[in-house]
Amino acid sequence: MHLLSRLPLLFAQVSPEDIQREFVRLQRNFQFLSYGFAVAWIILTVYVLMMVGRERRLKREISSLKAMLEERQKK
Amino acid sequence: MRDKILYGMGVVAILLLARDIYMIANFPPEAAQGAIFKIIFFHVPAAWTAMVAAGSALVCSILFLVKKDFKYDAIAVASTEVGLAFLAVNLVTGSIWGHVIWGIWWTWDVRLTSALVCWLLYAGYLMLRHAIEEPTQRATFAAVFSIFAFLDVPIVYFSIRLFRTQHPGPVFLSSNGSFPPDWGMVLLWNWVALLMLGIVITLVRLGHEETQREIDYVRRMAHAL
Repeated sequence: MHLLSRLPLLFAQVSPEDIQREFVRLQRNFQFLSYGFAVAWIILTVYVLMMVGRERRLKREISSLKAMLEERQKK
Repeated sequence: MRDKILYGMGVVAILLLARDIYMIANFPPEAAQGAIFKIIFFHVPAAWTAMVAAGSALVCSILFLVKKDFKYDAIAVASTEVGLAFLAVNLVTGSIWGHVIWGIWWTWDVRLTSALVCWLLYAGYLMLRHAIEEPTQRATFAAVFSIFAFLDVPIVYFSIRLFRTQHPGPVFLSSNGSFPPDWGMVLLWNWVALLMLGIVITLVRLGHEETQREIDYVRRMAHAL
Protein backbone atom coordinates (compact mmCIF):
# COMPACT_ATOMS: atom_id res chain seq x y z
CA MET A 1 0.00 0.00 0.00
CA HIS A 2 1.30 3.46 -0.83
CA LEU A 3 2.42 5.49 2.17
CA LEU A 4 0.05 8.38 1.37
CA SER A 5 -2.99 6.09 1.50
CA ARG A 6 -1.89 4.99 5.00
CA LEU A 7 -1.81 8.53 6.34
CA PRO A 8 -5.43 8.67 7.60
CA LEU A 9 -4.84 5.41 9.48
CA LEU A 10 -1.63 6.75 10.98
CA PHE A 11 -3.30 9.98 12.06
CA ALA A 12 -6.10 8.00 13.70
CA GLN A 13 -3.57 6.10 15.84
CA VAL A 14 -1.22 8.89 16.88
CA SER A 15 -1.87 12.11 18.74
CA PRO A 16 -0.61 15.52 17.55
CA GLU A 17 1.83 15.42 20.51
CA ASP A 18 3.30 12.18 19.16
CA ILE A 19 3.77 13.75 15.73
CA GLN A 20 5.32 16.83 17.32
CA ARG A 21 7.65 14.64 19.42
CA GLU A 22 8.70 12.62 16.37
CA PHE A 23 9.26 15.83 14.40
CA VAL A 24 11.50 17.21 17.16
CA ARG A 25 13.41 13.89 17.32
CA LEU A 26 14.01 13.91 13.56
CA GLN A 27 15.06 17.55 13.62
CA ARG A 28 17.52 16.85 16.47
CA ASN A 29 18.83 13.85 14.55
CA PHE A 30 19.54 15.94 11.44
CA GLN A 31 21.02 18.73 13.54
CA PHE A 32 23.58 16.41 15.17
CA LEU A 33 24.28 14.66 11.85
CA SER A 34 25.21 18.01 10.35
CA TYR A 35 27.38 18.78 13.43
CA GLY A 36 29.16 15.44 12.92
CA PHE A 37 29.89 16.07 9.24
CA ALA A 38 30.90 19.67 9.92
CA VAL A 39 33.32 18.67 12.71
CA ALA A 40 34.86 15.92 10.54
CA TRP A 41 35.58 18.41 7.74
CA ILE A 42 36.72 21.14 10.14
CA ILE A 43 39.34 18.79 11.67
CA LEU A 44 40.69 17.81 8.24
CA THR A 45 40.59 21.40 6.92
CA VAL A 46 42.40 22.78 9.99
CA TYR A 47 45.06 20.08 9.59
CA VAL A 48 45.52 20.90 5.88
CA LEU A 49 45.73 24.64 6.70
CA MET A 50 48.36 23.89 9.35
CA MET A 51 50.32 22.00 6.69
CA VAL A 52 50.07 24.92 4.26
CA GLY A 53 51.42 27.21 7.00
CA ARG A 54 54.25 24.79 7.74
CA GLU A 55 55.16 24.59 4.03
CA ARG A 56 55.36 28.38 3.80
CA ARG A 57 57.56 28.55 6.91
CA LEU A 58 59.88 25.83 5.57
CA LYS A 59 60.22 27.55 2.16
CA ARG A 60 61.01 30.87 3.87
CA GLU A 61 63.56 29.21 6.13
CA ILE A 62 65.35 27.35 3.33
CA SER A 63 65.56 30.39 1.04
CA SER A 64 66.99 32.57 3.84
CA LEU A 65 69.49 29.84 4.78
CA LYS A 66 70.59 29.42 1.15
CA ALA A 67 71.02 33.19 0.78
CA MET A 68 73.09 33.27 3.99
CA LEU A 69 75.25 30.38 2.75
CA GLU A 70 75.88 32.06 -0.61
CA GLU A 71 76.87 35.27 1.17
CA ARG A 72 79.33 33.40 3.41
CA GLN A 73 80.84 31.59 0.43
CA LYS A 74 81.38 34.92 -1.37
CA LYS A 75 83.30 36.25 1.63
CA MET B 1 55.48 14.78 -11.91
CA ARG B 2 54.89 13.92 -8.24
CA ASP B 3 52.89 17.13 -7.80
CA LYS B 4 50.71 16.29 -10.82
CA ILE B 5 49.95 12.81 -9.41
CA LEU B 6 49.16 14.40 -6.02
CA TYR B 7 46.78 16.95 -7.53
CA GLY B 8 45.16 14.24 -9.69
CA MET B 9 44.61 11.97 -6.69
CA GLY B 10 43.29 14.87 -4.62
CA VAL B 11 40.78 15.83 -7.33
CA VAL B 12 39.61 12.20 -7.75
CA ALA B 13 39.22 11.86 -3.95
CA ILE B 14 37.17 15.07 -3.71
CA LEU B 15 34.94 14.03 -6.65
CA LEU B 16 34.39 10.62 -5.05
CA LEU B 17 33.55 12.24 -1.71
CA ALA B 18 31.09 14.63 -3.38
CA ARG B 19 29.38 11.70 -5.12
CA ASP B 20 29.25 9.72 -1.86
CA ILE B 21 27.83 12.65 0.13
CA TYR B 22 25.10 13.05 -2.51
CA MET B 23 24.25 9.32 -2.28
CA ILE B 24 24.33 9.30 1.53
CA ALA B 25 22.01 12.32 1.64
CA ASN B 26 19.52 10.44 -0.53
CA PHE B 27 19.50 7.28 1.62
CA PRO B 28 16.38 6.94 3.81
CA PRO B 29 16.90 7.30 7.59
CA GLU B 30 17.57 4.03 9.42
CA ALA B 31 14.44 2.61 11.11
CA ALA B 32 15.64 2.63 14.73
CA GLN B 33 18.27 5.41 14.80
CA GLY B 34 17.01 7.85 12.19
CA ALA B 35 19.28 10.14 10.18
CA ILE B 36 22.14 10.19 12.73
CA PHE B 37 22.94 6.64 11.61
CA LYS B 38 24.45 8.15 8.43
CA ILE B 39 27.41 9.33 10.50
CA ILE B 40 28.72 5.75 10.16
CA PHE B 41 29.65 6.56 6.54
CA PHE B 42 32.43 8.82 7.85
CA HIS B 43 33.01 7.36 11.33
CA VAL B 44 34.04 3.89 10.10
CA PRO B 45 36.09 4.89 7.00
CA ALA B 46 37.99 7.44 9.14
CA ALA B 47 38.86 4.62 11.60
CA TRP B 48 39.97 2.30 8.78
CA THR B 49 42.13 5.06 7.25
CA ALA B 50 43.72 5.71 10.67
CA MET B 51 44.35 1.97 11.01
CA VAL B 52 46.10 1.82 7.61
CA ALA B 53 48.21 4.84 8.65
CA ALA B 54 49.16 3.09 11.92
CA GLY B 55 50.10 -0.06 9.98
CA SER B 56 52.22 1.97 7.58
CA ALA B 57 53.95 3.70 10.53
CA LEU B 58 54.66 0.30 12.11
CA VAL B 59 56.18 -1.17 8.92
CA CYS B 60 58.29 1.95 8.29
CA SER B 61 59.48 2.07 11.91
CA ILE B 62 60.64 -1.56 11.72
CA LEU B 63 62.32 -0.85 8.35
CA PHE B 64 64.08 2.18 9.85
CA LEU B 65 65.45 0.11 12.75
CA VAL B 66 66.68 -2.57 10.30
CA LYS B 67 68.05 -0.37 7.49
CA LYS B 68 68.76 2.94 9.32
CA ASP B 69 67.39 4.81 6.30
CA PHE B 70 65.78 8.17 7.23
CA LYS B 71 63.34 7.82 4.33
CA TYR B 72 61.39 5.28 6.43
CA ASP B 73 61.45 7.55 9.48
CA ALA B 74 59.96 10.34 7.34
CA ILE B 75 57.15 8.07 6.05
CA ALA B 76 56.46 6.87 9.62
CA VAL B 77 56.06 10.40 11.01
CA ALA B 78 53.98 11.57 8.03
CA SER B 79 51.54 8.65 8.23
CA THR B 80 51.32 8.89 12.04
CA GLU B 81 50.33 12.55 11.87
CA VAL B 82 47.70 11.93 9.17
CA GLY B 83 46.40 8.87 11.03
CA LEU B 84 46.04 10.98 14.17
CA ALA B 85 43.84 13.49 12.27
CA PHE B 86 41.61 10.69 10.96
CA LEU B 87 41.39 9.05 14.38
CA ALA B 88 40.31 12.43 15.79
CA VAL B 89 37.53 12.51 13.16
CA ASN B 90 36.53 8.99 14.21
CA LEU B 91 36.46 9.84 17.94
CA VAL B 92 34.52 13.09 17.51
CA THR B 93 31.90 11.69 15.09
CA GLY B 94 31.46 8.68 17.39
CA SER B 95 30.97 10.96 20.37
CA ILE B 96 28.28 12.96 18.51
CA TRP B 97 26.51 9.72 17.54
CA GLY B 98 26.70 8.55 21.17
CA HIS B 99 25.18 11.80 22.40
CA VAL B 100 22.09 11.27 20.22
CA ILE B 101 21.67 7.49 20.63
CA TRP B 102 22.96 6.85 24.17
CA GLY B 103 22.28 10.31 25.58
CA ILE B 104 25.94 10.69 26.67
CA TRP B 105 28.98 12.13 24.93
CA TRP B 106 31.40 9.54 26.27
CA THR B 107 31.56 6.26 28.15
CA TRP B 108 34.61 4.39 29.38
CA ASP B 109 33.94 1.13 27.54
CA VAL B 110 36.76 -0.94 26.02
CA ARG B 111 36.36 0.23 22.41
CA LEU B 112 36.14 3.94 23.19
CA THR B 113 38.87 3.88 25.83
CA SER B 114 41.31 1.85 23.72
CA ALA B 115 40.72 4.19 20.75
CA LEU B 116 41.38 7.23 22.96
CA VAL B 117 44.52 5.57 24.36
CA CYS B 118 45.62 4.92 20.77
CA TRP B 119 45.17 8.61 19.92
CA LEU B 120 47.10 9.64 23.03
CA LEU B 121 49.92 7.18 22.26
CA TYR B 122 50.39 8.53 18.73
CA ALA B 123 50.14 12.11 20.01
CA GLY B 124 52.88 11.11 22.49
CA TYR B 125 54.94 9.81 19.55
CA LEU B 126 54.82 13.24 17.91
CA MET B 127 55.67 14.99 21.21
CA LEU B 128 58.61 12.62 21.71
CA ARG B 129 59.96 13.63 18.31
CA HIS B 130 59.82 17.31 19.30
CA ALA B 131 61.69 16.59 22.52
CA ILE B 132 64.79 14.99 20.92
CA GLU B 133 67.22 17.18 18.92
CA GLU B 134 69.69 14.64 17.55
CA PRO B 135 68.18 13.15 14.30
CA THR B 136 69.41 9.53 14.63
CA GLN B 137 68.47 9.29 18.29
CA ARG B 138 65.10 10.91 17.57
CA ALA B 139 64.31 8.50 14.72
CA THR B 140 65.41 5.42 16.72
CA PHE B 141 63.44 6.31 19.87
CA ALA B 142 60.40 7.27 17.77
CA ALA B 143 60.54 3.98 15.82
CA VAL B 144 60.63 1.94 19.04
CA PHE B 145 57.78 4.01 20.49
CA SER B 146 55.74 3.59 17.29
CA ILE B 147 56.09 -0.21 17.46
CA PHE B 148 54.99 -0.10 21.11
CA ALA B 149 52.04 2.20 20.25
CA PHE B 150 50.84 -0.17 17.53
CA LEU B 151 50.18 -2.84 20.19
CA ASP B 152 47.01 -0.91 20.99
CA VAL B 153 45.63 -1.12 17.42
CA PRO B 154 44.58 -4.82 17.56
CA ILE B 155 43.05 -4.14 20.99
CA VAL B 156 40.93 -1.37 19.44
CA TYR B 157 39.93 -3.56 16.50
CA PHE B 158 39.07 -6.73 18.44
CA SER B 159 37.59 -5.04 21.52
CA ILE B 160 34.01 -5.25 20.19
CA ARG B 161 34.51 -8.92 19.35
CA LEU B 162 36.21 -9.95 22.60
CA PHE B 163 34.36 -7.84 25.17
CA ARG B 164 30.77 -6.84 25.82
CA THR B 165 30.84 -3.16 25.04
CA GLN B 166 28.32 -0.36 24.89
CA HIS B 167 29.73 0.36 21.42
CA PRO B 168 27.70 -1.56 18.78
CA GLY B 169 29.03 -4.95 17.71
CA PRO B 170 30.67 -5.53 14.33
CA VAL B 171 28.38 -4.97 11.33
CA PHE B 172 31.07 -5.49 8.67
CA LEU B 173 33.12 -8.66 8.07
CA SER B 174 30.89 -10.47 10.57
CA SER B 175 28.13 -13.09 10.33
CA ASN B 176 25.96 -10.96 12.67
CA GLY B 177 26.22 -7.90 10.43
CA SER B 178 23.04 -6.48 8.94
CA PHE B 179 24.36 -3.69 6.77
CA PRO B 180 22.53 -3.51 3.39
CA PRO B 181 24.93 -4.37 0.52
CA ASP B 182 24.27 -1.17 -1.47
CA TRP B 183 24.95 0.94 1.65
CA GLY B 184 28.05 -1.16 2.25
CA MET B 185 29.32 -0.32 -1.24
CA VAL B 186 28.90 3.42 -0.62
CA LEU B 187 30.72 3.04 2.71
CA LEU B 188 33.53 1.17 0.92
CA TRP B 189 33.80 3.88 -1.76
CA ASN B 190 33.83 6.53 0.92
CA TRP B 191 36.72 4.70 2.55
CA VAL B 192 38.55 4.60 -0.81
CA ALA B 193 38.01 8.38 -1.13
CA LEU B 194 39.20 9.10 2.44
CA LEU B 195 42.17 6.75 1.97
CA MET B 196 43.15 8.59 -1.22
CA LEU B 197 42.82 11.90 0.61
CA GLY B 198 44.97 10.45 3.41
CA ILE B 199 47.63 9.30 0.93
CA VAL B 200 47.71 12.77 -0.69
CA ILE B 201 48.08 14.50 2.69
CA THR B 202 50.75 11.97 3.75
CA LEU B 203 52.77 12.61 0.58
CA VAL B 204 52.54 16.38 1.09
CA ARG B 205 53.67 15.90 4.72
CA LEU B 206 56.49 13.67 3.47
CA GLY B 207 57.63 16.56 1.27
CA HIS B 208 57.80 18.74 4.41
CA GLU B 209 60.02 16.16 6.14
CA GLU B 210 62.34 16.14 3.11
CA THR B 211 62.50 19.96 3.14
CA GLN B 212 63.21 19.91 6.89
CA ARG B 213 66.09 17.50 6.30
CA GLU B 214 67.40 19.78 3.56
CA ILE B 215 67.24 22.72 6.01
CA ASP B 216 69.17 20.70 8.62
CA TYR B 217 71.82 19.90 5.98
CA VAL B 218 72.15 23.57 4.89
CA ARG B 219 72.41 24.57 8.58
CA ARG B 220 75.26 22.10 9.13
CA MET B 221 76.99 23.48 6.02
CA ALA B 222 76.58 27.02 7.33
CA HIS B 223 78.11 26.02 10.68
CA ALA B 224 81.03 24.30 8.92
CA LEU B 225 81.88 27.41 6.88
